[in-house]
Amino acid sequence: MAEKQQAMDPLAMWREWVAQSERQWNAFLNQAMATDEFSKAMGRFMDFYLNLQKGMNETMGRYLQLVNMPSRQEVLGLGERLSAIEERLGRIEGMLARGAEAEVSDPENGVSPVNRPARTKQPPSRGNDA
Amino acid sequence: MSAPAGETSIEARVRMEVERAIQRSIKGLEYISTGDPAVGLTPKDIIYRRGTLQLYHYRPQTDEVYRVPVLLVMSLVSKPYILDLAPGQSLVEFLVRQGFDVYMIDWGVPRPEDARLRLEDYVLDFIPDCVGRVLEDSGEEELSVVGYCMGGQLSTMYAALHPEGPLKNLACFTTPVDSDGMVLFKRWLDPRYFDVDRVVDTLGNVPPELIYASFDMLKPAGRVAKNIQLWDNLWNDDFVRSYRLFERWAADQIPFPGECFRQFTKQFMWENRLVRNEFEVGGRRVDLGAVKVPFLHVVAEHDHIVPYDSARPLVSLIGSEDRREVMLKGGHVSLVAGGNAVYRLWPQLESWLAERSV
Repeated sequence: MAEKQQAMDPLAMWREWVAQSERQWNAFLNQAMATDEFSKAMGRFMDFYLNLQKGMNETMGRYLQLVNMPSRQEVLGLGERLSAIEERLGRIEGMLARGAEAEVSDPENGVSPVNRPARTKQPPSRGNDA
Repeated sequence: MSAPAGETSIEARVRMEVERAIQRSIKGLEYISTGDPAVGLTPKDIIYRRGTLQLYHYRPQTDEVYRVPVLLVMSLVSKPYILDLAPGQSLVEFLVRQGFDVYMIDWGVPRPEDARLRLEDYVLDFIPDCVGRVLEDSGEEELSVVGYCMGGQLSTMYAALHPEGPLKNLACFTTPVDSDGMVLFKRWLDPRYFDVDRVVDTLGNVPPELIYASFDMLKPAGRVAKNIQLWDNLWNDDFVRSYRLFERWAADQIPFPGECFRQFTKQFMWENRLVRNEFEVGGRRVDLGAVKVPFLHVVAEHDHIVPYDSARPLVSLIGSEDRREVMLKGGHVSLVAGGNAVYRLWPQLESWLAERSV
């Protein structure tokens, strides 16, 4: 009955057509993209893109040098040094946090480290699942 | 929207379509005028930072948790919030509510200077470092690792190169090991036409636009069909919400660290070394047979990014006696975060992990 209703529903038929067309187009284009010619064309496009990028990098580098501005490499160098400082700060912060936690938690005097749930949970038994 | 009794089905149908057409116009304006939906909302703390890397600890929401903590490892080319998309559509939220103590590595967005990061940095340094932090934070001596896609590859390499522990369980989702099964990617990265050295030397990190375009090209007609589907369902708030979440994530690609891409292209895509146990990380051979911990591999039946042929050999290469592969309906992304993941992947993972987490 439901099938009959769907067969008479133009919108359901349209949706099915869209889904089928997508599948067919994907299959067709994927087949075309799996050829040697396509890989070659992609390689050529990549070459063009990389040449463009390289040319732009060089031109921009020369321009920045001319106007006495730091180059990309120099900015990256600064970024790296900043990252190293961040990392060191992180380590110090971590050590301080661990030290503070150790001070607060004193199991001998009944002070629990951090208020966390007990790690005692058991998996639901098969009997409970049923 | 249901028709009053007595109306013919054709009248009811016309009425419904008119209502939907009106709703499409109203909601279409809403769709254009509102911003991206919020993602990654499960409450968490950042317990460790290193460069762009952040290690999250999700706040427990149950009175007791399983003894063994779980560390989620994400791919290098996608943002990790796909695993914590939105309330009700979040694997992380689900695991936390089931009583797991959940941690996640967010690799962050690689900076230009991260182009020099190699696979050994991830497998032999960052992951072990995060594992150590998780053990320290949880007070436990072992943990489970769950890796998604390329995160599964990193996790498997980590497991193979650290057979002494402290790994207790390893679960991977849609993890490729045989590049011969990734026909299109393999074609596009054909060494005769694709000069990976020149790409990395010129660009540093591989731009996210290239990665996005390559994923899109796997289903070239998909974008048009998706837009038609969106228009058809604009009246449906749940559909639109879900669509926006997934589209936001799909478009939110991150650069692939250059050196890593070079190694990955040569060793995995060109020479297909992982499946032959000849992959090298930091001069050490990755022998998947060295993974002896309980292992679960979940694959998607309609995965167009990691086709089954490329994922199938993994389970047989693993050296563990307790190993299992589960194939579920769905695609690469819908496997972990789609509406059906709630009924398919999540319960499977929960039951597998629960009995191995005490």
